[in-house]
Amino acid sequence: MLQGGSVQLLCLTASSGVPLFCRGATRPLPFSIIGSLNGVHMFGGGQGTVLSSCVTDRGGRVLWRVFHDTVVLIAVSSQESGAVSELRLRRLLENSWNAMVLVLGLDELASARNVERLKRDLRSCYRLIDAFLEGEWDGMGDLMHCADCVVPLQPALLQEVLDSFAHAADSEFGCLLTHGKIIVATEKWWRLAPQEVVLLSALVRTLDGTISRDYPVFLPQGSPTVPHRLLCFQLLPGLDVCVLCGPSPSLQKAESELVVQFWSPVIDTLHGCLALRDRCLPSSVTLQHGILGLLLINRESRRAISTVHLWAGAPADVPLPARRRELLRALYTLAITRYFLAEDAQEEHRSVDGLEEDFPAGFSHQPVQFYLATDECKCFALQTPQHQLYLLTSVTVPTFALRSLATRTLSTLLSHTGF
Amino acid sequence: PGSLVVLDWHRCADSKEHFSRIQRRNVRKRFGLLEAPVLRPLLAADTVSYKIFLSGKSGVGKTALAARLAGLPVPSMHHETTGVQTTVVFWPVKLRENGRVLFFRLQLWDCGENTLRRFDHLLPACTEQADAVLLLFSFTDRTSFDDLSSHLTRSSSPSASTVRLVVGTKFDLFMHTDVTERELREFQQAWGVPVFRVPGGAGAPGVAGLAEVAPLLDALAEHLWHRDVLAAQS
Repeated sequence: MLQGGSVQLLCLTASSGVPLFCRGATRPLPFSIIGSLNGVHMFGGGQGTVLSSCVTDRGGRVLWRVFHDTVVLIAVSSQESGAVSELRLRRLLENSWNAMVLVLGLDELASARNVERLKRDLRSCYRLIDAFLEGEWDGMGDLMHCADCVVPLQPALLQEVLDSFAHAADSEFGCLLTHGKIIVATEKWWRLAPQEVVLLSALVRTLDGTISRDYPVFLPQGSPTVPHRLLCFQLLPGLDVCVLCGPSPSLQKAESELVVQFWSPVIDTLHGCLALRDRCLPSSVTLQHGILGLLLINRESRRAISTVHLWAGAPADVPLPARRRELLRALYTLAITRYFLAEDAQEEHRSVDGLEEDFPAGFSHQPVQFYLATDECKCFALQTPQHQLYLLTSVTVPTFALRSLATRTLSTLLSHTGF
Repeated sequence: PGSLVVLDWHRCADSKEHFSRIQRRNVRKRFGLLEAPVLRPLLAADTVSYKIFLSGKSGVGKTALAARLAGLPVPSMHHETTGVQTTVVFWPVKLRENGRVLFFRLQLWDCGENTLRRFDHLLPACTEQADAVLLLFSFTDRTSFDDLSSHLTRSSSPSASTVRLVVGTKFDLFMHTDVTERELREFQQAWGVPVFRVPGGAGAPGVAGLAEVAPLLDALAEHLWHRDVLAAQS
């Protein structure tokens, strides 16, 4: 049905089934198939059932979801790719809808009387939706609904500058990012819904290339009908600061009066942050050889550090970084759907579609650790009430050493980063 | 034209050092808000900053022009721009009069027409203290050309000293052109505004070289400088 490895996203109006857009895959699906996919979902609706997903015998997947009785989003993964998880597609649907709300606002989407106009307006969301579709950047926030972060050398200094910068811009919401990963953010920024934090990070990443922005945003959870202004400034290529604010200050005023005043004194520290792009951890944190990748999640604050660039002199036979990233994502997906069903995740899951039967949850108890050995790598995951750590190691690490390696890594990370 | 600044200075040997500060191996360098080209102390040049507003109908290629002038990859497909976005172009210019070199820091303000209509605060933000307005029309879109006259009257209101240039985009798509040379000449005479031509995004994908953007940037710099000289005299 689709070309290898690709995921396609279809968007149609819920009431009439008029196609609004179609993203992903170089060759879009034929109109008749789009019609059938929507038709079978509508048919189910007429019979009082909700069709939410299906799998073909060769591993292709289709997921449907109706948002606000307005649009239906359909995610289709090709049969050849096989490995696209349901979690990934479900997140894709949520993120895409959130992206649409972010750019256009709920009112505009819900009260769409003129379909042609809506189609044209939706084009503004393409860049953001494509960013979620490609999934090729080196973050995992889209999958986890946790914000990708990096840990700078001098967090306290940057935090202080950011707080006063945001204050000067009449805002309580400020955030400093490098390549779409959060370096520091104000306290209020962390009180936004996790999906919104992820969404805004992705938005700032797609704005790369422009030096400043005044971008009207609707927050999908917090303020879906009233727009805020996202002011976004590129301090250095790859390093942005943004604030969410009301009618004032103007972009020009903030740029000419505030940006240089607050940020030029710390320019050396900012340059240092750029170097964190891949490793995400300051060089003072040294971890053991053999670790190919790690993902550390703070479950309370919904923040995460993920990196696959830890082992500088890794031998040539270990998987390449892009592959490691894939493996790390797969490991997380496996854990979250099979073992580490966090209570909040379960609830979220139920409340979202309320369709899943109870038995896939599987266990009457809550696993806290698990390991996996494959011919490509070894994996270890552990969770504590506050953290989850996922470790990807080379096959040469003895299996019996995985647990102690993981616990030691966790304590090193926590003591050095205070994450 | 050409009386104040050295045109096509990037071709001259003595400009090498300066242009090497804004591009490396034919790829334009990017600068954040906290950065500017750094020169050897001997060659140190003053930087003059200007705000330039790109105005024109939706889809004429405002974002593409900004990317082209900044030496960034031109987007291959049209997306409506949401909100205001600004791009900075550094352009070294040599004055004819005394051989002085200046770095022009041109900040291009680009705003999608649809969001302009939906949010009131954006247009004032763009025109407030703008030093120049680039009025864009597309050779393939007749109405965008017809709109120019009303745009010219409208944009003259904030300040008479604002520099105004007209840029025709998608000039390369001559098969589909909707605007004739004669009409352009007449327009130029009627309004006394210079008109420039640039290719569209699809016709010349990739990154524009210096030679492509030099005529427009030189002219823009000259007009801005001329305006400043006049202002200083009066």
